[in-house]
Amino acid sequence: MIDAVQNTLDGLMIGSSYALLALGFTLTFGVMRRLNLAYGATIMAGVYLGTWLFLEQDAGVATAGIAAVGGAILAGLYVERVCFAPLSERAALASMVSSFAIWMQLEEAAMLALPRHTYPFPALVSGEPLALGPLALRLEHLLMLGSAVAIGAGLYFVLQRTRFGRALRAITDNALAARLLGMGVGAMRMRAFALAAAVGGIAGLLIATTDQQVTPMLGMWATIKGLVAMMLGGLGSLRGAVAGGLLLGVVETHAQWYFGPQVRDLVAFLLLFACLAVRPSGLFGARGGGRHPPAGAAHG
Amino acid sequence: MSAAALLEIADVVTAYGRIEALKGVSLNVAAGTITCLLGPNGAGKTTLMLTVAGILRPKRGAIRFDGASIAGWLPDRVVARGVALVPENRLVFAQMSVRDNLLAGAYLRKDREAIFTDLERMYQRFPRLRERAQQHAGTLSGGEQQMLAVARALMSRPRLLLMDEPSLGLAPLVVGDIFRIIAGLKAEGTTVFLVEQNARVALDVADRFYLMEQGRVSFQGTPGELAQDEVIRRAYLGSVRRPHSA
Amino acid sequence: MDEFAVGVLSNVGMISFLALSAYLLLVAGEISFGQQGFFAIGAYGAGIGTALWGWPLGVALAWGAATAAVAAALVGALTLRLRGMYFAVATLAFAEAVRIAFELTRYQIEIDGEPVGPDGIDGFRGIRHVLEHDIGPVQYLALIYALLAATLVLFLWVERTRIGRVLRMIGEDPTLAAMQGVDIARAKLAAATAAGALAGLGGGLYAHLTTYVEPRNFDVMLGVHSLAYGLIGGLGTAFGPLLGVAIDIGLLESTRWFSGYRMIVFGGLVAVLLILRPRGLLDERLVHRLRSAWPFGVHAAH
Repeated sequence: MIDAVQNTLDGLMIGSSYALLALGFTLTFGVMRRLNLAYGATIMAGVYLGTWLFLEQDAGVATAGIAAVGGAILAGLYVERVCFAPLSERAALASMVSSFAIWMQLEEAAMLALPRHTYPFPALVSGEPLALGPLALRLEHLLMLGSAVAIGAGLYFVLQRTRFGRALRAITDNALAARLLGMGVGAMRMRAFALAAAVGGIAGLLIATTDQQVTPMLGMWATIKGLVAMMLGGLGSLRGAVAGGLLLGVVETHAQWYFGPQVRDLVAFLLLFACLAVRPSGLFGARGGGRHPPAGAAHG
Repeated sequence: MSAAALLEIADVVTAYGRIEALKGVSLNVAAGTITCLLGPNGAGKTTLMLTVAGILRPKRGAIRFDGASIAGWLPDRVVARGVALVPENRLVFAQMSVRDNLLAGAYLRKDREAIFTDLERMYQRFPRLRERAQQHAGTLSGGEQQMLAVARALMSRPRLLLMDEPSLGLAPLVVGDIFRIIAGLKAEGTTVFLVEQNARVALDVADRFYLMEQGRVSFQGTPGELAQDEVIRRAYLGSVRRPHSA
Repeated sequence: MDEFAVGVLSNVGMISFLALSAYLLLVAGEISFGQQGFFAIGAYGAGIGTALWGWPLGVALAWGAATAAVAAALVGALTLRLRGMYFAVATLAFAEAVRIAFELTRYQIEIDGEPVGPDGIDGFRGIRHVLEHDIGPVQYLALIYALLAATLVLFLWVERTRIGRVLRMIGEDPTLAAMQGVDIARAKLAAATAAGALAGLGGGLYAHLTTYVEPRNFDVMLGVHSLAYGLIGGLGTAFGPLLGVAIDIGLLESTRWFSGYRMIVFGGLVAVLLILRPRGLLDERLVHRLRSAWPFGVHAAH
């Protein structure tokens, strides 16, 4: 019983890192309706920059952290300029494959700079885990959870209550009508990408400081986890991103406890597959979203 | 006494690739009036509206608003200048609330206080929108969406309001409401340039008519002159009996 | 023929099956990140056929393709009603699940005192049928290309029949297809099954060429690559994905000019190419123009 609770707690903690990744994904997918496969790689680029500064330039954790987020933003803007800005709405597939190409580019560049399988990364907080009776809560995990909640709430506020957020939602809803009101799609897209990259950079930074190490698998891992969490929660929904991330974390942790690490990943993918087969709109997506309309039905 | 032309369009040519949709369109919209552009499907009416609004770039020709040339300007400059377009099919932001739709209309404005005053005025003028302020725009009826689209465009305080087929798909009663609103706009001093297929309703409200066919203006005149022309009457007034079955 | 060239050409040939598999679905309007899963099923299936059950190569390859096709049909039945992105992610989930499932699978038989068969994460060694039966690299190359040629002929022939046109229409304008009474769901399922078989065949060939496969060979990277080949080479014709494979593997793998920077260069080139030609080099428009200009144009304007 205690195990179950501890596992759930741990699951929520790791799930909050997934939630952060999913939030960033959702921002770009929500705005663009196109999948940015380079998302994880841009996070990796930032984190590797931070690591390099830490190792080669004796930077402190604060500098490394800022570099991680800043690097991710720069990489994100690079992807936006190369893969998304020059291609029209209809060339969604080309944008996606292009972002995959840039993923490979960024990953190779990162590995050229730091070729080994693992590098140390400084911790953000240090101290003994908090004890709540028989349960243990690592401080880094609490930081992660707190950040996920704070950023989720922050993004919600930005999207719902600011002029920028309103414009972003308008452009996603109907780009032509938005342009007729004077909104600039190109500039808005850049800012959405930068924001998403910043969120991703923070996610990457928190993960690196929690694990206190950095590996070349970060890019792929972040992309997959973010994608799965986003789909589970419901495409395009911020609430869904957080819920999907937490759900994924909890399911994974329990699966790992009972069946080991390999089965953990298997369970995650089977869960996603089942979710898509049965309820593609996920936890919070629009009902009926995800399925083709029946042949002959009016186009929405 | 002739009112000054607020909008002057001279020999505008707009093409999609190699196909010229506008083959040299010329017309004027006098300040403080309601001008109606008629024409069959495919004549180029929407293309003209999109060209004035800045979504499309004319290949040739002049577009002058209040004396200044706006041809080729991007939409944000056009809106800032005081020209707003209510697009065909309304294009409300279906996933956003009515209130957010209206605030989106004021996107380019910086005067926060005045924006909220205007919002309140829109609610007074369109009480139905106040009732539905928090609802998603996609759940509104056709007529309500049209009102929302108009109100949204008005939030930018335009001097010239372009409207592309405001009666499309609406029941006759609702069409009447919309055109009452249009008449009211004129009374406030807003100039209206609208595209319509339903010439009958426009007859009561418009000051001047243009007819566009195959990318060119083929007729212009007062409502009286329009009604007297046999050919036009049969084509656009006689057959248009049930406007909502378009 | 120099051994290195044979190796590269063999790779190009085998991966072409995977590229054609993804291409077939793309033409039908579906993006699949999961064809590598069927590639894996074919590889393991055919490998088990020869190494554990002593089957002839042809039978084993057919078996690999068949099991992959059945799996594809099942997956397709469950997922093809999903829209674009959802379908893509579902196929990704499937392929990753398959990969991990192979990491957890052990099926070994004692042959001549040695355990032979898939050994979980350590992979499947000893698929030595080709070596044991004295099939040299050049002969194997010939086998690969014979099968590939047959597949290509099939593709080119189908392109010109009603089936091919209907499939393209489903991809480009599904409403139009529905109005013409096409059973879209069935057509897509058929395409998915055929695509699975192709990938499975490629996988079987791959297993016997390398004699050793492990689950990590069949990761997401392979899947997105197979998609990219079609998009680079062009979606207008079956030669498109082959061109894409040839460019990637042939040009860059073999010319070690860019060792260490290969992906940086290649990635950049792909991105630029897609800006200029979003449907690939041999895209539909170019192919249409080439076909109309072809002097032997029995099949001129459609």
